[in-house]
Amino acid sequence: MHGRGVAPALTGFSLEVPAGSCVAILGPSGSGKSTVLRLTAGLDAPTAGSVHLDGADLAGVLPERRGMAMVFQRPLLFPHLSVRDNVAFADRVRGVPRRAARRRAEEYLGLVQLDGFGDRPARALSGGQEQRVALARALAAEPRVLLLDEPFSALDVRLREEMHELLADLRARLEPTILLVTHDHAEADALADSAAVLDGGRLLQAGPLRDLYARPASLAVSRLLGGRTEVAGTVVAGVHHSPLGALALPRAFPDGAAVLVLRHEAVQVTPPADPAADAVGTVVRVRRRGLRGLVTVEITADGGSATVDAELGPGQDVGTGRTVGLRLPAEDRWVVPVDDASDGPSAGGPRA
Amino acid sequence: MSAPRAAGAASRAGRALLALWLVLPLVPLLLWAFADRWAFPAVLPQEWGTRGAEEALAAGAGGAFLRSTLLGAVVAALATPLGAMAGRALASRQVPAGTAVLAVLLAPLALPPFAVALGLDVLLLRLRVPAALGVVLLLVVVAVPYTTLTMRAAYAAHDRGFEDVARTLGAGRWRTVRSVQLPLVAPALAGAAFLAFLVGWSDYIVTVLVGGGRLTTLPLLVAAAAAATGSEAQVAVLSLTAILPPVALLVVVGSLGRRGRRA
Amino acid sequence: MTPTRPGPRGRALLLVLPALVPVVAVVGAALVSAALLSLGLAPLVGEPGLSLDAYRAAAGDLGTGIGLSLGIAAASTGIAVVVGLCLALAATAAVRRSRLLGALAALTIPIPHLVGAAAIGLLLADAGFLARLLGVDPASWPPLVGGQLWVAVVAEYAWKESAFVALVVAGVLATRAASYGETAALLGAGRWARLRYVTLPLAAPALLSAAAVSFVYTLGSYEVAALLGRAYPEPLPVLAYRLFTSIDLAARPQAAAVALTTTALALLVVLAALRALRRLAAER
Repeated sequence: MHGRGVAPALTGFSLEVPAGSCVAILGPSGSGKSTVLRLTAGLDAPTAGSVHLDGADLAGVLPERRGMAMVFQRPLLFPHLSVRDNVAFADRVRGVPRRAARRRAEEYLGLVQLDGFGDRPARALSGGQEQRVALARALAAEPRVLLLDEPFSALDVRLREEMHELLADLRARLEPTILLVTHDHAEADALADSAAVLDGGRLLQAGPLRDLYARPASLAVSRLLGGRTEVAGTVVAGVHHSPLGALALPRAFPDGAAVLVLRHEAVQVTPPADPAADAVGTVVRVRRRGLRGLVTVEITADGGSATVDAELGPGQDVGTGRTVGLRLPAEDRWVVPVDDASDGPSAGGPRA
Repeated sequence: MSAPRAAGAASRAGRALLALWLVLPLVPLLLWAFADRWAFPAVLPQEWGTRGAEEALAAGAGGAFLRSTLLGAVVAALATPLGAMAGRALASRQVPAGTAVLAVLLAPLALPPFAVALGLDVLLLRLRVPAALGVVLLLVVVAVPYTTLTMRAAYAAHDRGFEDVARTLGAGRWRTVRSVQLPLVAPALAGAAFLAFLVGWSDYIVTVLVGGGRLTTLPLLVAAAAAATGSEAQVAVLSLTAILPPVALLVVVGSLGRRGRRA
Repeated sequence: MTPTRPGPRGRALLLVLPALVPVVAVVGAALVSAALLSLGLAPLVGEPGLSLDAYRAAAGDLGTGIGLSLGIAAASTGIAVVVGLCLALAATAAVRRSRLLGALAALTIPIPHLVGAAAIGLLLADAGFLARLLGVDPASWPPLVGGQLWVAVVAEYAWKESAFVALVVAGVLATRAASYGETAALLGAGRWARLRYVTLPLAAPALLSAAAVSFVYTLGSYEVAALLGRAYPEPLPVLAYRLFTSIDLAARPQAAAVALTTTALALLVVLAALRALRRLAAER
């Protein structure tokens, strides 16, 4: 959240959320992504710009009249109410009789697999259960749009995955329209149909997640989506020239300086003698990730040096200092403009 | 080897002295309240009985008790919402010149009540404001610092996210206050109301000066009895009557507060 | 948002006004009215005219009253601070924490000062409970009530205010001192070192604030000194009350003068306490 008198939290931001879909807003902390949700929910008023729902402008519509339920990072279960009455809250404020509201609350508790938890006080739950109740409480309001503000980021990895599965299940059953805010591209990938990447209050790129992974519009998007390899070089006639050598690109790019980005999942590590290898280098770092490993390979050529990150296959093992070959599949090569490459970790680069 | 033991004995003796310091002044009250005859130099009364209670009732303790209760309740009923609203606003840090506003609201803490009562009395007489109304008005102002401080602390610790959730779930502004905000700060409200009640319940000088003797509360009876001679039993009974209700309230409010924190 | 709905700052202002207006009105009206009265500008009889006659007429009593009031407030606050600190330490000690002392102190808070005065009277009078306990004849019992040293008055304030100091300081110590104390103990600090370098500095701001509140309260409180003190000299509130309720209407401006002097004195004490608090905060 940004206070008064500071730079606007959002500029030139426009986003459409189709009915029944789940759109993720992806961005680092302080990128203004929570502001989008608070503006959408009507909890904050925009200084300029508007929010439309089914074609109607929501300017001046109070939050309680917008039909948007929100789940926050903290569960925020009302501590003075039981679990059941928390879920029944939206019905009760709408004037539904207590018994009917409670009956419906039980149904929603069932949807989040918490049957029989209704009588418990809200504070007698674990973190994951609390967030399930928060989700059930929001769904019970039957919102036209469900707003999720980093709802699972306080949970541990296993619980987060359970919640992802639960939400996917709920989407299949109830088909709600969801606007999700997260800083975790894997979460966006797991839950959303498409994503909007936000940084510094600006929309950097929007589209299906596959597209964002494979074809980021800028280095910032590539980094937010977990891209690790960035090799500076020059594009000449559809070929990227760098310490990795001349690499043909899958489609046309304008000539000039450009940064080659490669998903580490797409790069294959091979023996140095592999004839299909696009480059040969030395392993400078190995990181273990369960059965798979992530290696950083340094390639030195007369023009300078570059590093490429690659994911090892299960069971594949190489040690630091080994010489290996790298296959860089042509369809996974992508270049982005060099403009914002000055900041952040740039992997090597030719000292031209 | 004996040093820690000696320290322990010293600490036990110190604690016993502290407990004695707190309790000793109340012992003669308890004894006198049930003493029909207690001539010097006996350490305990020679005859036990209810003479003190009868004298107190004859002096109008019943009516005074009701008036004191009413005064405390009215002061609490007025000062608590005022303090809650001001505390909420001050905790939100949105009040223009918030520090100055807080200083003004706390000013009655620093000002001698007799001075304010004395200045106001002249004015109220000129404006023909009823005495009881003047007493209530002044005591509410005396109580506002306590309720404001209590509620400001409560709202500073209060998570506004709960209210945001309620709004997105369809609760209007007023419904959110009623169903979410007030239940969450209920223990603090009880504490603030208790302090405001105490201001009305225990006041003497404002009731005397502004009330002009027409509003006879319990403290006025205590003062009258204490100034007389030979009325020790009556003083003791009136004093206990003035102590027990707030102490009972404190126990109730305290247990409410503990339950609120635990729940 | 519709233009008629106030923004967050407007709403905050609307929320403080119901408390602010009566406080400003009552305090302002009372002080202005007392000032006018004391300066001869709003006489109950006769023509208004600016004069310091009221202050001049009361000067002698005012001088002794200021000294006496400050003395009583200083003595009772001093005792209350020392006893209150001991109570707070005992009620929050890491080892053998005394819940009983904490509860007793809390239960002392709601006792009205006037009732406290009545109780102290029954305890300390010539033929009081203490004299009976100690077996001292009334003739040889020192004049604690109504005596030259104002012992009973100081004792009542010290008793009530020690409980107040204890509660304020214990509140701070209970939430903060335990963890710091443990850290200090792990760093090798002994009992006295912990008290000197951890507990006391932590308690100092709360102790100072409580002392200031208690001092100002004692300075402006009427009923205890009226009940347990002697007829002459009078502390400021007693003096003002006598002048105000005197049948001689000419004494009323003098009462207002005493009231305003007491108010000025109280504000000076508050300002001094705020400065000391700021210096204490700056030292860290």
